[in-house]
Amino acid sequence: MCERLVATGLEVRIGARQVLVNGAIALQPGEVVALVGSSGSGKTLLARSLLGLVDLHPGIVAGEVTLHSAHHPPTTWRAPTTRAAREAAFQPIRRDAVGWLPQDAQQALDPFSTVERQVGRAARGDVDVDALLVRAGFSTPGAVRHRYPHQLSGGMAQRVGIAVALARKTCFFIADEPTTGLDPVVAGQVHEALRALAEAGVGVLWITHDLRAVRGIAHRVIVLDAGHIVERCSPDDLVHERLASDAGRSLLDATRRIAGGVLG
Amino acid sequence: MRLSLAQRFGAVVLAVVVLAAVWSQLAGFDPVLGVAPQAANLGPSLAHPLGTDHLGREVITRLAAACGAFVFPGLLAVTLCGALAVPLGALAGWAGGSVERFVRAMLGTVASIPPLVLALLLCSAWGNSHTHLALAAAIAYMPTFAEAVFARIATLRQAEFLVAARAYGLSEWRIVWRHLIVAACGPTIARQGLLLFSEYLVLETTLSYLGGFGVQEPMPSWGNMITFEWGRGNLAPLAAPVIALWLTLLALAWLAHGAAEERSHV
Amino acid sequence: MTDAAASSGAPQALGRALLRVVGFALTIAGAALLLLTLMHAAPGDAIDQLPNGDALRPVLEREWLLDRPLWEQVLAHFSRAAQGDLGVSLVVRPGATVLEVMSAPLLRSATWVAASIALSLAWGATLAAATSRRSRAAGRFVEIASVPPVFLVAHLAVNGLNAGAWRLMQADLITRPSWFALPDEASWLRTTLAIVVLALGSGALSRTHLAVRTALLELRHASFIDAARARGEDTRPLIARHLIAPLAHLTAERVAAHVAGLIILERVLLLNGAGSLFWRASLERDWPLALGLALAAATGVAATRLACDGVRVLADPREREVSG
Repeated sequence: MCERLVATGLEVRIGARQVLVNGAIALQPGEVVALVGSSGSGKTLLARSLLGLVDLHPGIVAGEVTLHSAHHPPTTWRAPTTRAAREAAFQPIRRDAVGWLPQDAQQALDPFSTVERQVGRAARGDVDVDALLVRAGFSTPGAVRHRYPHQLSGGMAQRVGIAVALARKTCFFIADEPTTGLDPVVAGQVHEALRALAEAGVGVLWITHDLRAVRGIAHRVIVLDAGHIVERCSPDDLVHERLASDAGRSLLDATRRIAGGVLG
Repeated sequence: MRLSLAQRFGAVVLAVVVLAAVWSQLAGFDPVLGVAPQAANLGPSLAHPLGTDHLGREVITRLAAACGAFVFPGLLAVTLCGALAVPLGALAGWAGGSVERFVRAMLGTVASIPPLVLALLLCSAWGNSHTHLALAAAIAYMPTFAEAVFARIATLRQAEFLVAARAYGLSEWRIVWRHLIVAACGPTIARQGLLLFSEYLVLETTLSYLGGFGVQEPMPSWGNMITFEWGRGNLAPLAAPVIALWLTLLALAWLAHGAAEERSHV
Repeated sequence: MTDAAASSGAPQALGRALLRVVGFALTIAGAALLLLTLMHAAPGDAIDQLPNGDALRPVLEREWLLDRPLWEQVLAHFSRAAQGDLGVSLVVRPGATVLEVMSAPLLRSATWVAASIALSLAWGATLAAATSRRSRAAGRFVEIASVPPVFLVAHLAVNGLNAGAWRLMQADLITRPSWFALPDEASWLRTTLAIVVLALGSGALSRTHLAVRTALLELRHASFIDAARARGEDTRPLIARHLIAPLAHLTAERVAAHVAGLIILERVLLLNGAGSLFWRASLERDWPLALGLALAAATGVAATRLACDGVRVLADPREREVSG
C-alpha cells in the first residue's frame, strides 16, 4: 500500500537552459491533483520527473523523488546520478506504484499486439479483460478485444489506455492531457473514469489545459508557468476566479474569452 | 550549398580523379610506350613520384590513366540510367495508383538480376568493352535510381504547398513542376548518380582484377594494377592502386551521404 | 479507423498471398525475358564465337532459330525454359543438361549466401546496439572498414594470411599449415573467409549497421517503447520484435549484392560453387549454362524478396491491411 509520492526541489536543464525550477509535488491516494498551465510550461516534464523519464542532457540536475509506502522503507532517488542508476532506482516506482497515460494513447500502444494481449500483459496475471474494458468506458468489450491499435479510433485508443492503466492496479496514476482531440462525450467519459479512480483510492495527477473540467473532479490545482510553480490553489479559487499569479489570471482570461468563463 | 568537411574531401577527390581522366585522354596516354625494363622497380623519387613497376612503367602515370577506364564509362552509365530512371520514378510517384504499381513491378523484375550477373552476361554475349559494361550497369541500377526518385516525389505529392498551388489553378503547374523535379529531387538525383558512379567503379575494377573481362593489360586499371604487381616489386606500385581505390570509394560515399542530407526548401 | 473497421478474414489473406506468389512468378518470367532478349539481340555471329562452333553449327542454328526475327527467338527460348528445358552445356561440360551441371553448385552457393546475409545482419545489429548511444565515430570507422570492394578485402585477407604464415614459418614458430597458399581443394577456411568477407566488404557491414542503428533510434523514441518503460517493463524483447520487419526489409535489399559478391569471392578464393561456374560459363561462352545460372540467381533473389515480404506481413498486423 502506498502512502505518498513526493518530489521536491526538481531542477531540469537542457544544456544551459533551465526548463524546470524548484519543482515540488506531493500525491496522496484518493486525491486528484490538476496540473495546469500554458503549452511549454513544463507540465509533462514535471510529471515525467516523478517517473524518472527525463532523457534530456543534462536532464534532472537536482531534486529528490520519494515513494512512501506502508510496508516498506521509503524509496528515494536523489539527483544527479547516471542513467543506469536512475533506471534502477525508478524501476520499483514505475513497475508497482505509478500508472502513466500519455497524451497520444494510440501511439503508446504496441502496434503488434491486440488490445486483449496488451491489457493482459499489463495486468501481469489473471485478469478479466472484459470487466476492465467496461470500467474504461466500453459498452461492448467483445468488439474491441481482438483489434489492433491501428484499428481503433482516437477515443477508443484512449479508453484502451485507461484499461491498460487500470489493469496494473497502481496506487498512483498520471494522466497527460487525456482528452486532447476527443469529442465532448468521450472526454466526459474519460473525466468520469478519473473521478472513479480517485474514489477507488488511487492518487491521480491530471495534466490538463481545460480549466472548466477541473471543477468537480480535482481536489487541488497547481499552476505552472515557464517551468516555475506559480500558484497552488483549490478548484473553488478557479471557479470564483480568485487567482493571485499573473499566469493563473491569464489562463483564466483565455478561458473566459474562448468559453465564457470557468462556470459557463 | 554548404558542404561538410567530409563532403569537401569527397568533392576534391572526385575532381582530382576526373581531371586525371581528362588529362590522360588529352595527353594521349600510350600504355606501351612507357615500358622500360632498365628502369624497373625504381623507388619513389622526384622524377617518378610513385616509382616504377616491374616493367619500368611509371606508376603515377598509369594510376592517373586508369581513371579514364571508369570516369567516362561511369558518366555514360549515370546518364543512361538517369535518363530512364528519373522520368519513370517521377511518373510512378506522381500518378500513383495502377501506374505506380505497374512501373514498380517492372522495376522489381529488373532488380532481381544482380548487377554483376547482367554485366558478365552482356560482356560475354556482346563482347568485352567499356560501352557494354556501362550499358549493363545502367540497366542493373535503374530500379534503385527510379525507386529513390519515386519515393521522393511520392512524399512531395502530399506536401501542402502543392495543395495550395493547385488551388491557384493550372497556370501554376509549370512552376510547380520545375520546383518539384529540380529543387526537390535535385539532391536525390545527385546522390543516386554518385552512388551509381561508385558502383561502376567497383564493377570495373573488380572485372579488371579478376581478368578475362574489364580492362586488359597493357591498358591500366586500378584492378589489373593490383593483380599485375602483387608479389613482384616494391611497395609503391602495390599500395598506390589499393589506396587510390579505397580513397575514391570513401570520397564518393561521403559526398553522396551529404547530398541526401541537404535540406531542400520544401 | 472507424469503429466499424473489420479485421481481415482468412480468405482475404489467402487471396493476397496468392497474389504475391503470382507476382513472384511474373517477376521471374520478366527477368527471363529481359535476359533472353539481351542475349539474342547480341550483335555478331554467336556461333562463330564458340570454341567448337563449327561442329555444332547445324544443331545450334536450328535450336536457336538464328534466322528468325528477335521476338520469335526469344519466345521460343522462353517457352522451352518455362517447360524446364534450359538447354545443354556447350563448353564446360558438353552434352550434360544445364540443370544437371548447375544443381549441386547452386545448393552450395545458396547456403553460403544465406550464411553471409545472416552474419552481416548479426554483425551490423550487434554493432548498432553496442554503439548506438555513443558518438558517430564508431559509425565512421565501420564505414571506412566496409567501403573497399569485396575483391580487395579478399585479396588483402588472403595475402595477409599467407604473408603472416610465411613469417611465422621463417621464424620456425609453426610448420606449413594445410591451408597455406590456399591449395586447390575444398577448405573450411576459404569458405569461412568468403562468408566473412561477403558480410563485410562493398559496404555490406556499413549499410547493415546504419539501417539497424536508424531503426533502433526510431524505436527508442517511439511512444509505445516509452510507455513500456514507464510501466517498468523490459523493453528489449519488445524492441527485438520490432526489429524483425526492418531486418527483413534489409535482407531483401541486400541479397542481390551478396549474390554478386559471392561470384567474385568464389573466383578469388577458388571455391567450387555456382559463382565460379557462372564465371567460367561467361568466359568460355557457354551461353545456355550462363543463362541458366543467371536465371537461377534472379529466382533466388526474387524468392528471398517474397520470403521477406511474408515475414513482414506476419510480424506487422498493419501490413496485412495494405492492398496489393
